[in-house]
Amino acid sequence: MKPGVLRVLAVLVLSGASAVVSADNMIMGRAALRAEIVLEYVKSSIEEHGYSIAHVQLCDGGMKDFGYTSDVYRVVFFGKIDEVRRISESHPELVSYLPLKIAVIAEKDETLLSVLNPEALAPFFSDEHLQIQFSRWHSDLKSIFQDVRRSVAGHLASSE
Amino acid sequence: MHLIRIWIAGLCLATAVVGGPVRAAPDGAELYVEYCGACHQMQGQGGIGLPLLTSKLADVSDAYLSSTIRLGRPGRVMPGFMRMSDAQVDAIVRYLREQSGTHSVAFNDEPVSGDAARGEALYTKHCAKCHGADGHGEGEGTGVTQSRDRSFLVMPASISNAGFLASAPDQMLRRVIAVGRESSDMPAFGKGKLGESEIDDVVAYVRSFEQRGRKVEALDPGERPTHVYESPYDFDTTVANVKASLTGANFRIFPDRLLEQGLIDEFSVNTRQIGVRFCNFNELYGMLKIEPRLGVVLPCRITIMERKDGQVLLVIPNLRVVSRWFNNDELVGLWDRMEETFAEIIDEVTL
Repeated sequence: MKPGVLRVLAVLVLSGASAVVSADNMIMGRAALRAEIVLEYVKSSIEEHGYSIAHVQLCDGGMKDFGYTSDVYRVVFFGKIDEVRRISESHPELVSYLPLKIAVIAEKDETLLSVLNPEALAPFFSDEHLQIQFSRWHSDLKSIFQDVRRSVAGHLASSE
Repeated sequence: MHLIRIWIAGLCLATAVVGGPVRAAPDGAELYVEYCGACHQMQGQGGIGLPLLTSKLADVSDAYLSSTIRLGRPGRVMPGFMRMSDAQVDAIVRYLREQSGTHSVAFNDEPVSGDAARGEALYTKHCAKCHGADGHGEGEGTGVTQSRDRSFLVMPASISNAGFLASAPDQMLRRVIAVGRESSDMPAFGKGKLGESEIDDVVAYVRSFEQRGRKVEALDPGERPTHVYESPYDFDTTVANVKASLTGANFRIFPDRLLEQGLIDEFSVNTRQIGVRFCNFNELYGMLKIEPRLGVVLPCRITIMERKDGQVLLVIPNLRVVSRWFNNDELVGLWDRMEETFAEIIDEVTL
C-alpha cells in the first residue's frame, strides 16, 4: 500500500472520522453583493417557498450597543406554523432548532450565507415522518440558496 | 499579494452543501464555486478559509492539494470532501493550477531520518512561538475573516493537525523549514540558522505529532441534540426562575419571544411556549471570532413550554453535540464549558 493511502487511513483514525461526519452539517453560500441587499433576497425567497419570516435578529446591532465593532450580522428566523405546531407537540426536543434560521454575514462587500443542514439532526431520530421533514427542509434550503444566487446574478447584470 | 484569479460569469453565489451530492461532469470552476468559494471567496482572497495565494500554491504538490481537499483539517473548520470523486478533486486542483499559473512541486515519499528528541529542543527554540508548543498554531480563531484581528494574514498553520500531517510528506516539511514560505511570515531556517541534520530533526519531531495530536473528547453514543427537563413548577414560575437564574449568572436577557411569534397572527399564537433568549456580549464577540457561523444555531435560548397535560418542559440545545457540527475544536472546548454553565442554571431552576 502506498504511504499516501496509509496516511489517509491514519487521519481518519486520528480524527475519529469527524471530518467525514461533520462535513454534511452546514450549508453555505457566498454572494458578491452587500449583505443588506442579499438579506432582502433571502427574505423574499423564503416567503416564496411558503415560509413566514418570524423575525430578523440584528446581532451586529446588539454588539454595537455594547461597544463591539462588527460587520452586518443578521439571523433570519422563519417557519411554517403547521410544521412548528406539529413538531413541538410530537418532538418537543426539536423546539431548540425551530424556527429555522439563516445567518447573513457581511464580509466587506460580499455576503456569506450559512445555515445548519437539518439533516444533521436525522441520525438522532428514527421517526420516518421526521426524516422526511428533515429532507424537505434540506431541499427548500438548497432551493432558497439557488434562488438567491439567481437574484444576485440578475441584480449584478442589471447594474452593469 | 497575488490571489488566484477566479471569475465565473453568472455564478455570483457559491453554494456548498459541504460534502454533499456530487455531479457527473467535473468542471473545476463550477466545483470551486460550489464547494470552496463560500469560505475561500471567489478569487481565493480567503474568508473563513485561508487565502489561496499564488505563492502558497506554488509551494505545494498536487497530491498535497488533493489530500487537503479529501481530508480537510479535522477540528479546524475545513471539512473533508470524502464523497467527491477522484475526477472532481482532480478538476478542482487543475482549476487552481490554471487560475494561479502555478505547477505542482514534486516531493518524493522518502521519509526523513531525524532525531525527534533533538528536534524537540530546536522546535521549542525556533518554531513554538508561532506554531505553539503543541503545534496547534497560534492566535485566536481557525482562519481569517474580515472582522478578525489580522496580525497574521495567514494564521500560523496547525502543523499538528491530522489532515495537514497526512497531506504533507516529510520532504515537503523539510523544504518549507529550509526555504520558508513567501505566503506567510514563515522564515527560511536553511540559510545559516539550522543545518541539514537539524532540519531533519525538526521534521522528525513535527512528524511525531501524529501520535500526540489533540483529540476532541468523543460524544457518548446516547447523547441527544437537546436537553429536555421537566420543571417541578408551573409555567409562569418556571419562566420567572429561568430569568432570575440567568440574571444571577450575569447574562443579559432579551425580550421574550414566543415560539410561534411571527408565524401566525398575534391572537392565535400559543403563549405557553416561550423562548427566553440571553447573551453575554463579551462572550458572544469572542465566540464569533472563533466561529463566525454560530448564528445558524444561536444556542443561548431556553424554551419553556407547557404541554396539554400541564407538564412544563425546559428545552435547551446540547452544546456538546451542536459544537461538533462546526468541525471547530476551539468552539467545542468553549461550548463544553458553556454546557456546564447551562447545567448549573437548569439545576437552580428545577431545584
